[in-house]
Amino acid sequence: MQLRHPAIIGAGRTQFGEHYEREPEALIEEAGLKAFDAAGIERRDLDACFLADYFLPFTNKIGLEEGFFSELLELHVPMEITRSFSSALLSATNAIQSGRYQLVLVGGMEKMTDRWDKIRDDLMLLEDPLSYYAGCTPEANHELMVRAYIKKYGIKDEDLTKFNTALAQIPVKNHKHAIKNEYAQYRREITVEQVLKERAQARKPLGLYDYAPISDGAAALILASPEAAKTYTDMPIYILGSASATDYVTFPARENRTSFIATSLAMQNALKMANVQLSNIQIVELYDQSSMLELVALEDLGFCKPGTAWINIYDSCLDYKGCYMVNGKELFVNLNGGLKADGNPLGATGGAQVFEIVKQLSGDAGERQVSVEGGLQYGCSLELEGFGTKSYVYIFGRD
Amino acid sequence: MSSEPIERRVSYICDRLRGSRCSVCGKEYFRKKDYCGNCGRRSFGLMQDIDFFFEKGELEVCTLVNEPTNKFTKLGTFVYGIVSFHNGKVRVPGRLTDRLIREGEQIDLSKFEGRTVVPRFRRRHAVDTSEIIPTISLAFTFTDEYYPHQKYTITEPKKEYEKPGIVGYGAYTSRFRYKEPNMERAVPFLDEDSITAAVEAGKMALIQSGIDHSRVSKVYVGSESNPYAVKPIASKVSQVLKLGQEDKTDGVQCVDAIDTEFACKAATSVFKDAASLVYYPENKDAYAMVIGTDNSQAAPRGEPGGELDFFVGYGACCFLFGMHDVIAEIEGWYSCTSDTPDFWRRDREPYPSHGGRFTGDPAYFKHVAKAATKLMEKMRLKPSDINYFVSHQPNINFPTKVAKQLGFKEDQYLPGLQVAKFGNTYSGASPFGLAATLDIAKPNERIVVASYGSGAGSDAYSFIATNQLPEKRERQKFTIRYQAENPFLEYVDYNTYRKLKTGL
Repeated sequence: MQLRHPAIIGAGRTQFGEHYEREPEALIEEAGLKAFDAAGIERRDLDACFLADYFLPFTNKIGLEEGFFSELLELHVPMEITRSFSSALLSATNAIQSGRYQLVLVGGMEKMTDRWDKIRDDLMLLEDPLSYYAGCTPEANHELMVRAYIKKYGIKDEDLTKFNTALAQIPVKNHKHAIKNEYAQYRREITVEQVLKERAQARKPLGLYDYAPISDGAAALILASPEAAKTYTDMPIYILGSASATDYVTFPARENRTSFIATSLAMQNALKMANVQLSNIQIVELYDQSSMLELVALEDLGFCKPGTAWINIYDSCLDYKGCYMVNGKELFVNLNGGLKADGNPLGATGGAQVFEIVKQLSGDAGERQVSVEGGLQYGCSLELEGFGTKSYVYIFGRD
Repeated sequence: MSSEPIERRVSYICDRLRGSRCSVCGKEYFRKKDYCGNCGRRSFGLMQDIDFFFEKGELEVCTLVNEPTNKFTKLGTFVYGIVSFHNGKVRVPGRLTDRLIREGEQIDLSKFEGRTVVPRFRRRHAVDTSEIIPTISLAFTFTDEYYPHQKYTITEPKKEYEKPGIVGYGAYTSRFRYKEPNMERAVPFLDEDSITAAVEAGKMALIQSGIDHSRVSKVYVGSESNPYAVKPIASKVSQVLKLGQEDKTDGVQCVDAIDTEFACKAATSVFKDAASLVYYPENKDAYAMVIGTDNSQAAPRGEPGGELDFFVGYGACCFLFGMHDVIAEIEGWYSCTSDTPDFWRRDREPYPSHGGRFTGDPAYFKHVAKAATKLMEKMRLKPSDINYFVSHQPNINFPTKVAKQLGFKEDQYLPGLQVAKFGNTYSGASPFGLAATLDIAKPNERIVVASYGSGAGSDAYSFIATNQLPEKRERQKFTIRYQAENPFLEYVDYNTYRKLKTGL
């Protein structure tokens, strides 16, 4: 059976960072209004809303988020809340594909700075409770992955220096991208030396500049059936492939601790569904919660062989031209600055990733628009929940 | 507020490191499982209970945590990593404990990785003083440092004795010390307290005695520094060490557990109760465990009661009593009591108060001398009939003076005088002395112990070592001397000592 590809007909987002004065509802309102505007629809045209926040009930003591949204929109359509933007998008995608709805809103929000004092405890406890009880921090699992990777692939001496440099080049590259992103949390350059210095000071495999920040923000998009999309826009961006996969919540208990099996499974299924070759993917927004996760994602998504991504990164970044060179082809990674520089308001993060791909594929990315020979055709996004406990992969394409 | 049900479940699994093994395919799991992921339905009912409490593991990879989550901030900077058991069949998260990492100290993670570690029962993290104290054994130390890995092998008893006695013992103190001009004092690590020490001492006694933990029918834990006003240490000891028959359906241990309190004689007082219990005709296959444990409390120097701060130690000592494979028979006892208010701690007060010079005379000397003299009279013993004399040891002077007063010579009282190595371990003080003499006594040698508890009273006992003592001693590496003269002891300054002592 031929799948009906849902189409994105408009997207909007807020700036990521700290929004001290604003409530979570105000953020999603701003993103939603921008998406309505971009799509040219009225809120009363919506059949349903799929929303996401990772832990507003913890940070803001807000339960029944749908009710707040109903009040905001003055709508009584079906609304469901999930943990991540990508998971909300998956529900929306499934609903449109089933033919149930024609026009839905997908939104995500997070207000992490409202609970600055205890956010790391909450993050860790939700992510991996057993590790939390043993003393784990949100950073430690990333660093253990670095150690396990070095050990597994026997990286030493000169190679180890190269590996560490490659890991430092990742946030440097992402900061460079974010300078052109008016919504990004950090719009300034950093250097490899700064990244390495922070690590040395912390006496750890990863340091301050290797990690995505704590952010507030919201993002939204309007998803339409292919038929409905044509009435609103000449240039819909289609969701060709969508997939998710799941892994154990306890990181140390997993079979493999140098990659995320959920990501490779989701990518394989998404590519199969989209009927797109991996080599045709030109831009990727992936989940660089730390430098290590960008490196590992390149391997898990299949762009680099296990144990080799750092070589591609190192070679591409010595004289960075705006993309990684992978298998002789250009691969644009995290054009919005990634989680590191754009920001990481959990429930909204996936929305910012899709926003970037929609803008790029539509040729609407302004100053940061990239181009390739033959034009941009396919993009891919990867979002995680927890430390690789869930992976969501989407393949996007245009007509 | 912590949640009681969550706390119960996490502690139940993580204090003992309980897991499961599929008897169909051999796959192992941390936590209890009713079926195996490999074998599915056909493994129902075929999952065996296993645990890693007495096992050793390998620290596979690690990193440094210098900005812990809020509840762990009091632990400061620590090493955190993944520990594998049974060659990678099971992997768990864990932190290294008993390690002070200083600012600016060079850290080479690869020097920690690949080394053998042993799980340690500790406080999990800090909580408010009104809350349940969370515990965990996902804390580890290296086996090639202070604390060795020792197997716990259950051995069938060979011989039944006519009189009850000690069938095994174990002592535990931490690897940190504070040095005074004429003594060293044991200092707990941040995540240790009187509860964790009690479990350690009990574990050591099980290892040395080789008795079946399920045959322990009663546990007494004596302490004056239980972090709870109401909640026994003995229940934690029973659950973690799986004492008595275990009802697997609801996680209940079929054992009687009770805490006792009488200043520093809370444990020695019940030696006779434990011995009498196992002598009861219907109970002769059972064992009774007595633990004296204290994170001895003292106000900081310069504050009222701060004089104690020059003497307090940390540690626990455990004795198992039974009728089988006895290593020291109880010959007799004598106890005395009077209402002498020489040392006390009011409810809700963090530190004890004392009566200054009255703590010696008429308190300590009167009671210790009375109990020891009366016991010797009762048993028609002269000092020369006794090989070792041990008394309560709050400092070096008191026990030396009382021993001399009773007619004992240095070679009789010095082996049991351990206060200069560990400080005053309160409920564990005379038990540490007894353990030290048992570590060296020959068969048929006689040991007299006279404890002292402020408030006030003394219990004197006479023990005769049997010829099974030397053989059982071989099973214990972690002896009093091993702990006193260990090359991995770490000496801390005064401020660090107070910080460690205050704990999480």
